[in-house]
Formats: sequence, C-alpha cells, structure tokens
Amino acid sequence: MIKFVDATKVYSNGVVGLKNVTLTIEKGEFVFVIGASGAGKSTFLKLIMHEEAPTEGEVYVNGYSIHNMPRSEIPYLRRSLGVVFQDFRLLPNKTAYENVAFAMQMVEASPREIRRQIPLALGLVGLSKKAKAYPNQLSGGEQQRVVLARALVNNPSVLIADEPTGNLDPKTSMEIMNLFEEINQRGTTVIVATHEKDIVDKMKKRVIILEQGEVKSDEQKGHYINED
Amino acid sequence: MKIRTLRLLAKEGVSNVYKNKLMSTASIFTVIVTLFFLGIVLLLAVNITSNIEVMKRDLDITVFLNVDATDFEREEVTAYIESQKKDGIVSQYRIETKEEAFENIKKEIKNEALLKGLTAENMPMSYYIKLNNPADSDKVISDLSKFSGVNTEYGIGYNKDRLERLEGILKAFNYVLVTLLVVLSTVAIFLISNTIRLTVFARRREIEIMKYVGALDNFIRLPFIVEGLLIGFFGAVIAYLLTYQAYEWIQHVLNSILLNLGYTTLRLMEFYPVALRLFIIYSVFGVVIGAIGSLLSVRKHLNV
Repeated sequence: MIKFVDATKVYSNGVVGLKNVTLTIEKGEFVFVIGASGAGKSTFLKLIMHEEAPTEGEVYVNGYSIHNMPRSEIPYLRRSLGVVFQDFRLLPNKTAYENVAFAMQMVEASPREIRRQIPLALGLVGLSKKAKAYPNQLSGGEQQRVVLARALVNNPSVLIADEPTGNLDPKTSMEIMNLFEEINQRGTTVIVATHEKDIVDKMKKRVIILEQGEVKSDEQKGHYINED
Repeated sequence: MKIRTLRLLAKEGVSNVYKNKLMSTASIFTVIVTLFFLGIVLLLAVNITSNIEVMKRDLDITVFLNVDATDFEREEVTAYIESQKKDGIVSQYRIETKEEAFENIKKEIKNEALLKGLTAENMPMSYYIKLNNPADSDKVISDLSKFSGVNTEYGIGYNKDRLERLEGILKAFNYVLVTLLVVLSTVAIFLISNTIRLTVFARRREIEIMKYVGALDNFIRLPFIVEGLLIGFFGAVIAYLLTYQAYEWIQHVLNSILLNLGYTTLRLMEFYPVALRLFIIYSVFGVVIGAIGSLLSVRKHLNV
C-alpha cells in the first residue's frame, strides 16, 4: 500500500514539485498518473522510490516511511519496487538474460533461483527466444520487455513505470500496456505515469491528474481529460 | 555479503579495467609517473643517509684527557694509540698539549675578562686520531673509554662541528623529503580520482540500475574499488621496473664519475639491498592511492 498524507516537495531551487498531496493506492490497484510536463508526475514517482524525500507531510510505501528513512533501508524499499523507464536503461554489454540476471545477483539470489526465475520472467514478457540477444539487437518494444522482466524478476509488490511507452509506436505501446494489465491481474500494484491519451482512455483504470503539483482529479475508470 | 557476490563484483571490477582500456591506461600512467618520482626521491634519501654515515665514520676521533690526568695515565693512552698505529688501524694521530689548547682557546675567546685566572694547567690535553678504516671507529672509541685518564664526560667522538653540520644537512633533507612525499601523494590521489571519476561518470547508468534494483552501497562500490586496486598495482609494478632500470643506469654513471674524481668512499649504493622494500612500498602506495581515488569518485554518484 502507498499512502501520501499532505505531502509536499519543494526542491532546493524553490521549484514546487508536489503540493499537499493526500491519496492512497491500495495493493493490487492499477493507476495512471497524468499531467503536463512539470505537473509533478516525476516527483510523485521519485517520492515513492525515495529518490527524493518529501519536505513536508508523510509518504508511506510498503510499510516504509519515506519522510523519515535511514539511508541503509533504501535498498530494501527498492527491492519491493520494480521500475521501468522510458529510455529502458539496459546494460549494453550484457545479453537480455544477463541483464535480468544482474538484478537477481544484486539481491544475492542463489544461482539455482536465478536459473529457475529468469526463463519464467522472460516467458512472461514473451521474450524467451531472445534471451541471448544484446540490447542493440532488439527492437524498442523488445528492450522494454527485457526491462519489464528485470523489474519483475525479484517479485516486487509494486511496479512503477515512468513514460514506459514514450519511445514506442502505438501498436507496441498497447502490447506493453496489455502486459502491465496481465501483471496487475497477478496481484502486483501498477503505477504508470504517461502522456498518452489513447492508452489511458482505452484502459479505463483509476486516473490521477496532477496540475502544478496538486491533485486536480482522482477518478476510478477515468479519462485523460476530465472536463465534465 | 556472500562469497559468490564478492566474486561476481570483483570479476566485474577486473573486466572493467579491460573494457575501459583508455581510462585504465591513463590512470596507470598517472600511478607510474607518481611512483617513479617518489621512488627516485626515496632512493636519493637512502643514499644521502648512507653516505653521511660513511662520512661520519671518516671524521677524526677526538679524545680529551682529564685536566688532572697523571703522566702515567697519559703514557697509557699514547701507548694504546701507538700500538693501534702499528697494527695498521690508526693511520695517524696528533696530540694537542695543554699549552696548545690554551693558545687555541685564547684565539677563540677574545674577551680578556673571561680568560682571567685561566692557565694552561686548566686545559685538558687531547688526541686527534685518524683511522685507516672508518669501520673500526666503534671499537677504538670503546677501547679508549676504558682508560682512567680519559675524560668520558667531554666524550670521545667525532669532530663535533663537522658532525653537527652533516646532521643539519640530513635534517633539512628529511624535511624536504617529507614535503615531497606529501605533495606527490596528494597529486596522485587527485589525478587518479579524476581519471576514475571519468570512468564512473561513463558508468553512472550501471550505478543507477544497481540502485534501482536495490543493491547495497557496498555492492556498487566494490567493482570500482577492485578497479582502483588493480590500476594501482599495475602502475606500481611498471613504475618499479622503470625505477630499477633508471637507478642502475644512474648508479653506473655517477659511481664512475665519483671514482674518476677520486672519491673512494662516496658512492651510490646497490639497488638489491632495498629492492624488496621498495617493491612493497610501491605496491602498497599504488594500491592505496588507487582505492582512495576510486572511493572518492564513486561517492558522488551513490546519492541517487
């Protein structure tokens, strides 16, 4: 569960990232976070991942208090989160398989576990046949699937995606979104920050609209533009 | 941290050295230059110290008798020195009588008032002894100190003035040496951390990914530390070989020049006696500055 209580983030240069946000995302929800550039989407995600801490208010993620967290606990918070980026962020000198394995090695999974889990993760994203390919041998959609496999392989309870389809064509985007939905149906909370109206409208999920750091609307089965 | 993870991360560090050939070469070069200069300075220091030791032993030995030494006591000492001269240990010696000592002190102290009441009888008699082999000086001094007529309070020893001058030089040189060491080490750490900072910057993506998947800070540091250690060690080995070659050459040239100039005792020492110690100093120094450099440069990127 993720809970924001009157959370405010003001950056050191005076820019307000988020202003008095109060909301709860229950376990197993699928949430879109939308808004123009600078509306606070990134800050919202950064607070969840403890890339930033709130300047005021409280933020709870999977039982951790982001507003008051010792540095040594951050890695453990991050292990409960899977993260997908717009620009993929794969290691170019590792194959798809090795990229996913890297995430497991970093949390000291046993070699047996790794051998068992990775085919499952790559299978889930439909990339079993490309395990030995390097990122530059894969299409954008395929690379994003590898990233997704990497994000999921340690069984996080929350999947966070920042503009995951920003670099993909509409058809591939929809495929990735369907994957997200499938993952969500297995019980993982999914939070997607996006610009893409079509996807949001089609998926009919909870939509949180941010504007100048504040929550403008928060509706179940929402649409990209809510003008009543 | 499990052994398996340690091995994995260490392997990562090793392969990084190879993968970032250009940066690694640049860092290794920095280590080589620093250690090479450091080594030359160190060798110079060892040589100066050992040559001053030789020069010390080359000085006259001065022995004062007690002011009230009897004729018998005086004869005893003279006989001993004579016997040493016969054995070829003492090359020559000179006696300064009470009268000569008095004349000398009158020349040194111009103030009449201070000399008032002082006569030759108040002055000690002394011997200035030169040895054939400076190495015998310890034995001669200890023999002399056993005679009842010898004043051990004034001390038996080397010519004080020259000794103090030599020790002054040695002291000043030590200050210069310590300063040079500090400056060179600082420069090396700065250069290496800068070079490694570039490789860290090139790999900030990797650090980021490690952080997002929840790797502990030490996991992220370790490959870079291994990288720094290796670079430091490689640099140390190459610098050592270069220093060895350079020193052998300098030693060869300088010693033949010194010999041609007629100095038989003054010379650069052999490399072998200090070889192992120098190698250890190089390795430790290289490895430490490599690791510190890595740690400094990775620190900034850890705060994601």
